[in-house]
Amino acid sequence: MLDVDHIDVYHGDLQALWKVSLQIGNGERVSLIGANGAGKTTIVESISGLLTPVDGSIRFHGVRIDRMPTHKIVELGICLVPEGKGIFPGMSVFENLELGAFIPESRKIKGKTLEFVYDLFPILQSRKNQISGTLSGGEQQMLAIGRALMSKPKLLMLDEPSLGLAPLIVKNIFRVIQQISESGVSILLVEQNVRIALGITQRAYIIENGRVGMHGNSQSLFNDEQVKSAYLGTSRG
Amino acid sequence: MTELLAQTFVNGINIGALYGLITVGLSLTLGVMKILNIAHGEFLMVGGYFAFWLFKLFNIDPFLSLPLVAIALFLLGGLFYRILLAGVARFHEEVKLKNSLLIGFGLFLIFPQIAITLWTADERAITPAYSGGSLPILNVRVAYVPFAGVIVAIVVILFLHLLLKKTYFGKAVRGTSENWKAAKLMGINVDRTYLITFALGVAMAGLAGVLVGLTQSITPDVGMSWTLKALIVVVLAGIGSVGGAFFAGLILGVVESVGAIFMGPYTVALGLLIFLLILMFRPQGLFGKS
Repeated sequence: MLDVDHIDVYHGDLQALWKVSLQIGNGERVSLIGANGAGKTTIVESISGLLTPVDGSIRFHGVRIDRMPTHKIVELGICLVPEGKGIFPGMSVFENLELGAFIPESRKIKGKTLEFVYDLFPILQSRKNQISGTLSGGEQQMLAIGRALMSKPKLLMLDEPSLGLAPLIVKNIFRVIQQISESGVSILLVEQNVRIALGITQRAYIIENGRVGMHGNSQSLFNDEQVKSAYLGTSRG
Repeated sequence: MTELLAQTFVNGINIGALYGLITVGLSLTLGVMKILNIAHGEFLMVGGYFAFWLFKLFNIDPFLSLPLVAIALFLLGGLFYRILLAGVARFHEEVKLKNSLLIGFGLFLIFPQIAITLWTADERAITPAYSGGSLPILNVRVAYVPFAGVIVAIVVILFLHLLLKKTYFGKAVRGTSENWKAAKLMGINVDRTYLITFALGVAMAGLAGVLVGLTQSITPDVGMSWTLKALIVVVLAGIGSVGGAFFAGLILGVVESVGAIFMGPYTVALGLLIFLLILMFRPQGLFGKS
């Protein structure tokens, strides 16, 4: 459904991505792993239109989206949960969720989607009138994911959803991501915690210095000696 | 003495409502777009002259011309955003603020010159037949026109408040002001939101201009003094609260008006003194969040 084809992306004068290509199929769970600053966030920001590639193309269901403004890309069904959550801190939990369903198509069915989101995260329902800036870190992450789901995405991209959260909460969030995936939504997960990322996804791309390194089946990457020594810290070599 | 104080208080409310109205527009663009529109008062001047024209040339009652001025200035604001500010709005906050200041100062230099050409440098006032009338309440004279001005200001500000709190568009505006990047990712057309927000701010300045033309007078150089007043009230109120900006306007109006009894010609300094004290001791403003 998503086809990123040899994109070059710059931050100002600095080139951040070199000929990056990746594909995501319908209903697939894919992760991007790699060190800090390798370009993972740049990739998802390019897909969602916050950055524009100078070369290469990005297609979603065959439609070129690399020159589209972000709001059009959201309307096509791609939603990004940005790193650091990016909620609207001064607005209530409910208002945040409402804004998640801003695009016309999702606004029509927002009552039903809201039930689905409250089902996944019951805490959001009990906190719906609370100002969202006063939620705990884990709750804010749940809100950020719930808000993204309100737009009824076909592809949900999550940038470091585990960042700064306690292990138990991380486990809970990844359980929900699994559930979301089972409801038919494709997932692109950016994650520094390689163990978790490979555990939950079917395929993975390793990003190194703005380029795609190894990629393939998550399970086989998990067992690969090179990956083990570089990212999992379990190899003797 | 009490009568004098009461009368002064009423006068203070009259002028304060105008301060509130002019400030709400400035505060809206500053809070949502992070640009400081130094030319905000210039749009007040344009609104005032426009109503003056409608009154003089077509004999249209100034209160009836309010919606016309609002629509015309809304369109003018949208046009200015497209031509001058849309490019600036893309930059990050610091560059955006600096460039918007330069653009604002540019407009501040150009607008009065155009106004002198179009309307001459004479003072212009909108003077319908009923403009001198007043109603005595317990020895205090409540003049009709300024009182109606207060009502207009309250209605406009209430409208804006409800727009921001209750409508989907208003929530998009607030979301954009809190986190424009996240707003984009929710499918909000941030550029369009900025356009409408700026146009709304300009329209509100225009409405204030009609009321200034009715209760005081309009001259080509009237803009900057109103921008400065609005800046004082923004600092007094803090950014982000529509109601707060209005109340802070009323406070400044009353303080200036009462202060004039004791300080005479030095009253202007009173507003600046408040400005300094607030910046020193409560920089987030009376109604703003720290």
